[in-house]
Amino acid sequence: MKKKVLSILLAGAMVMSMTACGGDSGNAGSSEAGSSNAGSGQSSAAGGSAEAEGNGSSELVDGKFAETRSITVEVYDRGNDGGSDPTNNMYTEYIKKGMLEDHNVAVEFVAVPRWTEVEQINNLLAGKTAPDICVTYDYPTIQTYANMGGVLDLAPYIENNKADLPNLWDWLGETNLYWDRDPATGTVWGIEAKLATSNRINTFVRQDWLDKLNMEAPTTRQEFEDMLHAFKDNAELLLGADADKMVPYSVSYDVGWRAATLIESFIDPDISDKEYYVNGFDDRKLTQEGTKEAVRLLNKWYNEGLMWKDFALYGSGDTTEDDMLKAGYVGAFTHNWDYPFRNGEDSINASLQRIAGEDAQFVAIDCFEDKNGTHTKFVPGPIDRKIFFPSTNDEPLASMLYLDWISDPEHIEYLQIGDEGVTHNVLEDGAVETIAATGDAIQNSGMNIDYTITCNGLKLADEEKTIKSTAHSYAGIDPAVVENANAIAQTDMKVGKNVNVGTIESEEGMGPVLSEKRDIVYDTAMSASEADFDAVWDQALEDYMNAGGQAIMEERKEKWEAAFGDADMLP
Amino acid sequence: MKSKKQAVTQQKVSFKVYMKRYWQLYALLALPLLYLLIFKYVPMVYIQIAFKKYSIVESIWKLPLADNHGFEYFIKAFKNKDFLLALRNTVGLNLLDLVIGFPAPIIFALILNELCFKRFKKVVQTIAYMPHFLSWVIIYGLALQLFAPSTGFVNMILNNLGMESIPFLNESHHWVATYAGLGVWQNFGWGSIVYLAAIAGISPELYEAASVDGAGRFKKMWHITLPGIKPTIVVLLVMNLGSILGSNFDRPYALQNKLVMDVANVISTYVYKVGIKGLQFSLTTAVGLFQSVVGVFFLLMANWIARKLGERGIW
Repeated sequence: MKKKVLSILLAGAMVMSMTACGGDSGNAGSSEAGSSNAGSGQSSAAGGSAEAEGNGSSELVDGKFAETRSITVEVYDRGNDGGSDPTNNMYTEYIKKGMLEDHNVAVEFVAVPRWTEVEQINNLLAGKTAPDICVTYDYPTIQTYANMGGVLDLAPYIENNKADLPNLWDWLGETNLYWDRDPATGTVWGIEAKLATSNRINTFVRQDWLDKLNMEAPTTRQEFEDMLHAFKDNAELLLGADADKMVPYSVSYDVGWRAATLIESFIDPDISDKEYYVNGFDDRKLTQEGTKEAVRLLNKWYNEGLMWKDFALYGSGDTTEDDMLKAGYVGAFTHNWDYPFRNGEDSINASLQRIAGEDAQFVAIDCFEDKNGTHTKFVPGPIDRKIFFPSTNDEPLASMLYLDWISDPEHIEYLQIGDEGVTHNVLEDGAVETIAATGDAIQNSGMNIDYTITCNGLKLADEEKTIKSTAHSYAGIDPAVVENANAIAQTDMKVGKNVNVGTIESEEGMGPVLSEKRDIVYDTAMSASEADFDAVWDQALEDYMNAGGQAIMEERKEKWEAAFGDADMLP
Repeated sequence: MKSKKQAVTQQKVSFKVYMKRYWQLYALLALPLLYLLIFKYVPMVYIQIAFKKYSIVESIWKLPLADNHGFEYFIKAFKNKDFLLALRNTVGLNLLDLVIGFPAPIIFALILNELCFKRFKKVVQTIAYMPHFLSWVIIYGLALQLFAPSTGFVNMILNNLGMESIPFLNESHHWVATYAGLGVWQNFGWGSIVYLAAIAGISPELYEAASVDGAGRFKKMWHITLPGIKPTIVVLLVMNLGSILGSNFDRPYALQNKLVMDVANVISTYVYKVGIKGLQFSLTTAVGLFQSVVGVFFLLMANWIARKLGERGIW
């Protein structure tokens, strides 16, 4: 009897699950139909605006919609201590109010964690709940979704609504707007935000340690090595009881980034555009000629005890190494050109001064000479984050207007420096000095770059003022130290060019896998014994190549040759 | 004919009576069934992604079939060195867990059962349970504090004694040992609960009789306690074998680092990195499906063997 009831129940469950599946498929079908309707609606809208070409969109009166439209915009959540809600604070209010007044568009922000942005955006896209305006640093993600039909082609909006988008065209220009335009089909899946400054990386050293040891800042690779030895040999003097915690040169698991100044000094400064491009899928320069020798030197230092032994155990976003820098255990490190100055009161230099004394601070040095004796800094083109609209965006025009609004020089300026007396002071020479804000005025990201999604780096309406202000833009940091870092970051800078030869198909979906393999090559080789170095490097690199690195390089070479023939340099 | 009809009506009546009496129990069952339905059965519809070219914008019913009669992604997976490595690591680490981790709670339960100080027993039990409630991220944090090469407590002691650091976390072989050890540490206390309950169910008369016959502690343990909990052991063993190819995600993901990926990349972390991060949904659904099918096969086989050996199995 009981068995019978149970079997009835189970049968019932099965029937229900089947109807549920059926229902599911029905829903999927209808939502599919709905979205295709929406798609045709969009294309007719695009057609409509195409007719109105030149005069801006017919939907707009004085740049405003007749009825309030609403859009959602992605914003990074950095989860910093004492920060405000990234979707609701003084700056989001400013944007919401401005957009409503200027364009009659209501804006809502959607927070996405900064350090897992790609995963999160993937989930949102797959769930069809992605914000109307999405931002990511990862172009392959956009390409992959575009291939599935999940991304809107921006080309018609950029071109047809040119009259409605003066600020966007002014600021990004053809270079950035069409950076990713497909040479064959003319589609634009993403717009590249612009870097106001191309500064990339610097190497920093503890000035007070140099002073204590009566040393000059190193100017060559050899002097840098000697300095590391001097730090290690004098650990007792420099750190006292904490001598055993000293790390003369600290590099994290991301060796390709965190030793980039050194690695780049081993690359031929006169490298051809073609070779640079073919090896360019990986921005950590793993396969460039010379990188192996750079890592061999790191490996030597590692085995001599000059580097951090635990480097591989802490992942991306972990603050352990920052804490070591702040606590004063580290002699030198390489990072973003302004890394120790960022974050106001919580910056590495400010924290260091509180713990290790007034004169303790990191200053930038330029000591890795390349074979020409110069200090070439390979920096990417003036592109930053990539902005795209998922196909679920049914307000593409309103979204474009948002991008235009956020590119307005005055709006950028306000978001970056805020109110006078609250987030900045104006100095005698007109320069703007950033001060540590409190409460609602705290910026969750440096100069609010998470809101100024088309711009990264200080950009005031007045260009001269910008230059003067850069050095003053780090609360609590000596402007001279910033100026010095800025100058070094720009010494022998080699700006990357746009090689647009169409989609490299073998790159699709390979980003995360190859990044991990790249880190494995760097990490295992750097920490191998000196005798094993060659074997470890070669084997790990072979694995990287076989997993897709080789195919990408070959396709890049092929497409380059198809586009530029025998030329080694871009026209 | 008549009697048959009578029987049917009788059955109907007794069913009604039965349901009237017990409907509350069945009502209790409704919610778990609903849970299984929504979260375990409905998602199975999407298994077909493994055989199709996936696109986020198309309905899955309309997706085109993948090449090679839909088996393109299975072929691709088995040609992929990383997947094969992940497969090897999954089986290897799970077997290690089985060999080391499975007997640990049994031994612990047996030892605990022999303690005569009730209060001490309670304290030991509580302390042993606690790690079960820690997430693997926290356990990794603890492991770093203890085992990191330069700042780990254990290695600092070794260094002060003039010895070299042991690379618990940053060398492949040591990492496997650390992985297994931490797994045992987290689970032996919690795992012993089931066995302690089974031991409590053994009739004390058996022990008394054995004492009268002159059996010592070990004899009693061997001839009464162990046979008494044997059915429980078998059930748990069968279930463990069923998950030999499955792996939880957080444990390997939290513990792995770039220096030990050759042994630490398992199927679940592989699927996460290639599928979710690399957007290769079809490929990783195929991998997941393969994993589940082999898991079911193992489960059936283990159950069949258990029944052949005269145990009850799990069904």
